[in-house]
Order: sequence, then structure tokens, then C-alpha cells
Amino acid sequence: MRDLLYASPMAVMIIGAFVLMIISRDNLSLNRYNIISVAFLSLSLILQIYTFDKGNSTYLFESAFGKTFIIDKFAKLFDLMFTIGSILTLLINTDYFKRQNYFNGEYFAIMLFSVFGMMMLSHSNELVSSFIALEIATLSIYTLVGYHKHKAASSEAMMKYIILGSLAGALFMLGVALIYGAVGSIIFSDITIYIKNTNIADMNLLLVGSTFMMITIMFKIGAVPFNSWVIDVYQGAPSPITMFMASTFKVSVFALALRLYLVSFSSINEFWIEILQVITIATLIGGSLLAISQQRIKRMLAASSIVHTGYMLIALSSIGLGAEMAASSLMFYLIAYFISSVGAFGIISFLSSQEQFDLTYDDFKGFAERRPYMALLMSIFMLSLAGFPSTIGFLGKFYIFTSSIESGQIFITALGITTAFISVYYYFKLIAVMYFYSTDPRQKKLPIDVSTVLIFIMAGFVIWGGIGTNLISIIPGADGFITIAQDAILSLK
Amino acid sequence: MENILTYIIFTPVIAAVILGSIRADIKSLKIGAILSSVIVFFLTLYLSINFNPNDSMQFSKTLPWISSAGFSYHVGLDALSFVLLLIVTLLMPPLYIYMHTESRKGYWYNMMLLQTGVSGAILSLDLILFYLFWETMLLPIFIMIGKYGNSMHQYNAMKILLMTILGSMSMLFSILYLGHIYFDTYGVWSFNLNDLSALSLSVKTTSWLAAGFLLAFAIKIPLLGFHTWMAPAYASSPTPAVVILSAIMAKLGAYGIWRFGFSLFEEVLIYYKPYIIFIAIIGMIYYAIKAVTEDNLRKMFAYASGSHLSLIALGVILSNSYSWSGSLYFIATHALASAGIFLMIGLTYKRFKTINISDLGGIAQRLPKFTFFFAFFALSIAGLPGTGGFVAELLIILGAFKHHFSIGILSATTVLLAMLYIFWMLQRTLFGSINNNIKDIDADDLNSKELLMLTPLVVMLLLTGIAPSLFTPFIEPYILQSLDGITPLLTGIR
Repeated sequence: MRDLLYASPMAVMIIGAFVLMIISRDNLSLNRYNIISVAFLSLSLILQIYTFDKGNSTYLFESAFGKTFIIDKFAKLFDLMFTIGSILTLLINTDYFKRQNYFNGEYFAIMLFSVFGMMMLSHSNELVSSFIALEIATLSIYTLVGYHKHKAASSEAMMKYIILGSLAGALFMLGVALIYGAVGSIIFSDITIYIKNTNIADMNLLLVGSTFMMITIMFKIGAVPFNSWVIDVYQGAPSPITMFMASTFKVSVFALALRLYLVSFSSINEFWIEILQVITIATLIGGSLLAISQQRIKRMLAASSIVHTGYMLIALSSIGLGAEMAASSLMFYLIAYFISSVGAFGIISFLSSQEQFDLTYDDFKGFAERRPYMALLMSIFMLSLAGFPSTIGFLGKFYIFTSSIESGQIFITALGITTAFISVYYYFKLIAVMYFYSTDPRQKKLPIDVSTVLIFIMAGFVIWGGIGTNLISIIPGADGFITIAQDAILSLK
Repeated sequence: MENILTYIIFTPVIAAVILGSIRADIKSLKIGAILSSVIVFFLTLYLSINFNPNDSMQFSKTLPWISSAGFSYHVGLDALSFVLLLIVTLLMPPLYIYMHTESRKGYWYNMMLLQTGVSGAILSLDLILFYLFWETMLLPIFIMIGKYGNSMHQYNAMKILLMTILGSMSMLFSILYLGHIYFDTYGVWSFNLNDLSALSLSVKTTSWLAAGFLLAFAIKIPLLGFHTWMAPAYASSPTPAVVILSAIMAKLGAYGIWRFGFSLFEEVLIYYKPYIIFIAIIGMIYYAIKAVTEDNLRKMFAYASGSHLSLIALGVILSNSYSWSGSLYFIATHALASAGIFLMIGLTYKRFKTINISDLGGIAQRLPKFTFFFAFFALSIAGLPGTGGFVAELLIILGAFKHHFSIGILSATTVLLAMLYIFWMLQRTLFGSINNNIKDIDADDLNSKELLMLTPLVVMLLLTGIAPSLFTPFIEPYILQSLDGITPLLTGIR
């Protein structure tokens, strides 16, 4: 019975998905579908908050599933991010759905399926179930990416993503098979025991297998050289999906990566250090090079999300080198990145429903005069992504860089700071074009609707997460975010 | 009043946030901005009454900010920061008078944010807090140059932003590394200046860390070689922004070397000393020659102020009692004089729609008051005896002679060169026959509002020049105390 309560957030999600699937033939208005799916998501969110402190470090339905699904704060924190991310995606884009004619009821069902997949991924404690979860999430995303089926770019993006993504998925499965061959079990805790009791020279099979899995993870988070899909897919997908992928789905892959690296492979992390460092350097430099040359904001944000992957990879190799703070710094960075990118992509997709343009830098000329408040919010998110102090993005980078100095990676830290400097260029270019050019003022009023209020709240989080003190005892400040991140990491061990 | 520094820092930005959230119209925005600057002015007045020159750090306040990361909110005031704070608060009201006709709202918001950023950077004693304000004060300048500037302003705004942030990023790296060393030694994070300056570091590490800081400060001053943003940025900034740039932000570079360089890296600064002296001297002369050749008044005074700031940097790095009191004195007087001259250039543009020397001439016959103020500020930049600049330059040059004869000679030439370009400029712009380009322009002499904003600057400059003994008791104890702190080190190494 208690297990049922703990499983309820996920259960609500899957029930909601099926309900939406069934009623999707009823030709309700899109708004109705939207409200229903947000209702299910919110119900799940409430249940998650209610059970947040309950039943940690137990297994879900242990009698039936064994150790397949684990319940801990780590997974629950990710669940919260997924749910909040998808609620924001749905609510910020209410206008978008209305104006495009290709959305229908199934869209919302698929969205919920994908959230369910991600939640399952964060809870899964075993390789095959995590593969299934990953595939549930990605298959839904494939569909969503190609949702605009009459637009060539959208279909192209889907084909590109599905072919490369399936290859990556196959590599993961191959890795699982090899690990099973070596260990004789696919449960994380068994793998941990096997690694602890075996000499590293006798683990070739496991090392090869886990390297295959690492390739899949690198592919999903878009690290260089597995990044060829990122920009085109982000560009081709409908804007709400881009927002969902960049903020929520990207975070979900780290749920798996962190669990693998911190729990199962923790004692052989040194094995990957060099590979990881090379990938990190390539990702930082390659992402920056890509981002500088982009003309469209959506593509620029896509390319810059590769750079952010690079920062997170810095933390991943710091973990391998045994820096104490590295894991929680990565967790904090994920939260910071999640908040800022939800905001930035949210504004982009919000705008692409309102304005009839391509969203290139040039289209933003004079934006600050047309919509001063939207421009201000966009600037806040840009500042946060660039790691400007007084935003949560700065704190995120602060933790990443200090933990990487702690682990002795001076060169990579310096490179990270250099790419952060380069990122100032392409983020501030947007601020510059928004503010520096004048235009005929078309709209001065801030239209107050759900989307703008939500974007406004996210901007508030960005600022408060960067400067919030804990002097005001009622509201947790930036320390609160850090404590959450540390708790989540501690619950893993 | 123990939180007085906090009020001084945050009054303008809180005013801006309140005005912004009620979407104030332009009139109440102006009143609000002026009111905030006046409040800060009175708070600073209260400070100066209670300021005890014989005490080192006062009015200081330490609060935990983000404790798990070791950030603290630590502000404090000593003679060094007091001088700079005084300048900011004194300059803000005249600047608001200057822009009272400005009806673009963003202008006012940016100025308020700028005041918070600048005074925060002056007062903060925690490295991360300092970094925050150091970056924050750049944003309004960036927006003001880019949005309200002229002649390639978008490009120049991006240039100043990128160059300055390059410096701050290198400083950030050093700050993080220092924090890490502290964490390694004591097991807790701290970025408090007092904690960090107590660290004992190896010379090799420190020299790299010092380089990170010095790069940031060298770009801000700017020393020669880091100066490519200077002339374009000065030329395309709107007048209030250029006043803040030259009067305060450039000084913050010298302030940074003084405050952070000498408390964190005093040993290794000795190794950098010859290079900095070299760059400063070459810069002084180079900028002065550039100023002679420059036709645009803004650019000319940009180079002139670069030359004088190099002199200040020289004075700071020479670190003897003459040069330090001279530098601190020059920080104040040069700020007043350059604020005055850039305001005058702004007024010139308002009247004649040009600031090219070749387009001007013969103003003296038509606008006597205007001519007096223009000439006065220009001459006080050059160090006319009787103005504060003279005293300051004299002290720095004395300090330079004390260090080495040749350095004294070289730094004295800047004063000569300054006389050269200032007098030549005055002759061509103010005197002579009326230039054909401005013959048809019917320009008025200074009106009462303009007199109101310029007179305090003149009075201050004269007061600092004629009666330096009024001010030296405020700064002397500080100079001697801090010299005591570093002299054993200096002699020890020699």
C-alpha cells in the first residue's frame, strides 16, 4: 500500500497519458486537452511534493520487481524538474498550440508518455529497465520532433534524430549485453559489488560495455563529437518541443549518467578520465565555435546548450578525480541550467507563436522598444546562461569551476572560463540587438497571461537563485538550492 | 546607522526597482532618481562627519550571504574608498542636472543602476561581492553606449564589454583559485578579503594569480596595450556615461591594484613593478602625443585621461608616501576636473553640434562664461597651479624622483606635454577668429542650471588646490598606516 503511494506520481502520469489517448478522438478543443494534461501533471507534482521525504532508499514493489526501481531524493528531485518542465512547456505555449493547425489531442498524450519515461529513467536501478525508460522517453521525443509533418525541416530533423538515436540506443543495448556477460546481473548494486571485488585488469568486458553505454549518454546530451544532430533537430522541431528537449530531456539523461557514475562505476571512474577530458575539451571548443557563427537565436541556443553540456562534463570528470563537491555541483548546475534554459527557450517559443518571423538576430532589432518587459526577461535569462554574477547561472559555474580546480584540472578550468568569456559574446549580442536599435513602438503594454506570468516567475528564480541570502528565514535563498542538490547527491550513497 | 554603507549602495537600485515596477512616468522617474542621489549625498555627508581618519576600516558590516559557498556580504570604508565614494556621490547630482531634459526612461534607470554598481564596487571587501559589482557596473555603461551613444556605438559598446569581461574573467579565475587555496588550508570556503590576505602563498602561484587581477585592472585603467577600447568608447558614449567612465570607473582600476593588489599579493607586485612602471611611463607619453594629434575633443580628452591615469597607476605602484598621497589626491581631483571637462564637451555639442577642434574657434568672443568654465576645467586637467591637479601631480612626481631620477624626469614630461596639448587645444577652440562652421549658430551662454552643476566642481577644484591642508589630514594617516603594512616586505626583499 505504501508502495502504491510512492508509485502514484508515475502512475498518475501513465494514467493521464492513456486517458488523453482515449479522449484524443473526441475532438475537444486543444485548450481542453492542454488543461487536462496540466491537471494530471499537477496532480503528479502534488503527490511528488507530498511524498518527497517519504520512503527514501526503498525499492518500489520489491516483492514483484526486485531491485528494479529505487526511490530516493535524487530521483525525486529529477521527477520534480521533469514535471515542472513539462507543465511550463504546456502552459507557456498555450498560444502556440492555438495558432498552429497541426496539433491535436495525441500530442499531449505523447508528452505525458515522455515524462513518464523520464521519471522511470530517474528511478530505474537496473540496466534493461533504464534502457526501456530511455526508449519510452526518446521515442516520444522522436514523434514530437516530427510533429509538424508538412514542414520539411521538421520531418528531416526527426529522421536525422531517429536514425542516429536508434544507433546510439543499439550501442547502449550492446553495452548492457556485454556487462551482463561479465557480471551476470544487470542490477546496479550487483555491478557495484562485482567492480569492487574484481581487479581492473580482469574487467575488459565490463569496461567495453560501459564505454558503449557512455557513448549513448554522450550522444543524448549532445557532446562533441556526437553533436551533429543537435542544432538541426532543435531548429527543425516545433518550438515547444525544442524547449522541452533542451531543458527537460537533456536533464533526464544526466539522471542516468550520474547514477551510473556515482554508484555503479564509482571505483573505476579513473578509467574514463582521459576520454572524458578530451570529450570535454572538444565539446567546449566545438560548441563555442558553433554558437558564435549562428544567425538564428534558436540555433544559437542549441549550439550554446552544447557548451553547457561541456561544463557539466567538466564536473563529471571532476567526480572521477575525486573532488568532494563535484557531484553536487553538477546537480546544482543542472537545476540552474534547467531554470535558465526553460526561461530562454520558453520566451523563444512564446514569441514564435506571436510574431511572424524567423527569430534571427536581425529580427530582434528594436525588440526592447516593442516589448520592454519581455526583453528584460530575455536579458535576465541570457545573463544567467552567460554566467553573469547575480544570477543562478553564475553560482552554477562557480561550483563547477571550484570543484574542477579542487580536482586539479587547472587547464580545463581555464578553458571553461575562456568559453564562458566567448559565450558572453553570443549571449550579449542578443541583448545588444534587442536594446541598441530603435523601431516603431508597436506594443508597450505587458499582456498579462499565464505564459508571461510563468516566464516572469522563472526570471525571479534566476535572480533569487543568484543573490538570495538566507537572512530572510521564510524564503530559502540560494543556499536552499544548494542544500537540495547536496541532499539529492547524498541520498545516492 | 550601522548599515549606512548598505543604504548608500542600494538606495539608487531600490529606487529604480520601485519606479520600474510602478511604471513611473518620466517626470516622477526624474524626481525619483534625483531624490535617490540626494539621499545618498546626505548619507555620505553623515559619513564624512563621523569618519575617523585615524581608524582603518570603519562602518564595516559582515553578513553571511550564501554561506555554503563562502560568499559574505562584507562592506567597509577607509580613506581610500572614502575618496572614491565621495566623488561618486558628488558627481551624481550634477550629472542628473545635466540630463534633466532627457526624456528617455532607460537613461535614468541605467544611471541609477550605475551608481549602485560603482559604489558597491568601491565599498565591498568580499571578492565575490566585488566581482558582482565590478560586472554589474559594466551593464549600464554597455547599454548606455550602445543605445544612446553615437558613431558606431553598437560596435564600440560590444568592444568595451568584451574587453572588460576578458579582464574580469581572468580575475574570476584568480578569485576562485584563491578561494580554493583557502578551502584547502582551512576546510571552509571564504572570499573575504581579510581571510584571504592572511593566506601564505607560494610565490609561483601568487604571481599567476596576481596576473589575473592585474589584467582586469590594466584593462580598466587602461594601461598601454590594453587601451584599444578607450578612445572609441569615450567617443561614442553619451556624456553622463563618459563622465562616469573617466571620473570613476577608470580610477577603479587603480583602486583595485591598491586595495586587492597590495593586500593579497604585495610580495609579487615587486616583481611586476618594473614592468608596470615601464608600461605606465610609455603610456603616459604615448597617450599625451596621441592627445596632441587628436581632433575630436572627446577622443583628445580620452587620451589625456589615459595619460593621467597612467600617472596615477605609476604613483600607486611606486608605493612611497609621496606617490601614494599624490595618487589618492589625484584620483579625487582628476575625477572632478575630467567630469567638468566632459560636461563642458557635452555642452559644446549641445550648442554647436560638433566637438571637432577644427570646426570650433572664437567661442571666447561670444560666450565668456562658457569660455571661463571650459578653460578652467581644461587647465585643471593640465595641472594649473591653484587647482587640485597641480598638488597631486607634484606629489606623484616627487615620489617618482624619490624612486629614481630618470622616472621622475619622465613623469614630469607628461605635465609638460599636457600643457602643450591643453593650451594648443584652447587656442584653437576658444580663441582666435570665429570659425566659419559655427558662425551662423546662435549659441547662448551658460544658463543658471548649467552654472548650478558646474560651480560645485570649480569650488572643489579650487579648494583642493589652494588649501590641500584641509584634506590631507583625512588621507595621510591611512597612507602612513598602509605603507607601514607593506614596507617591511619591500625592504625585506631588497
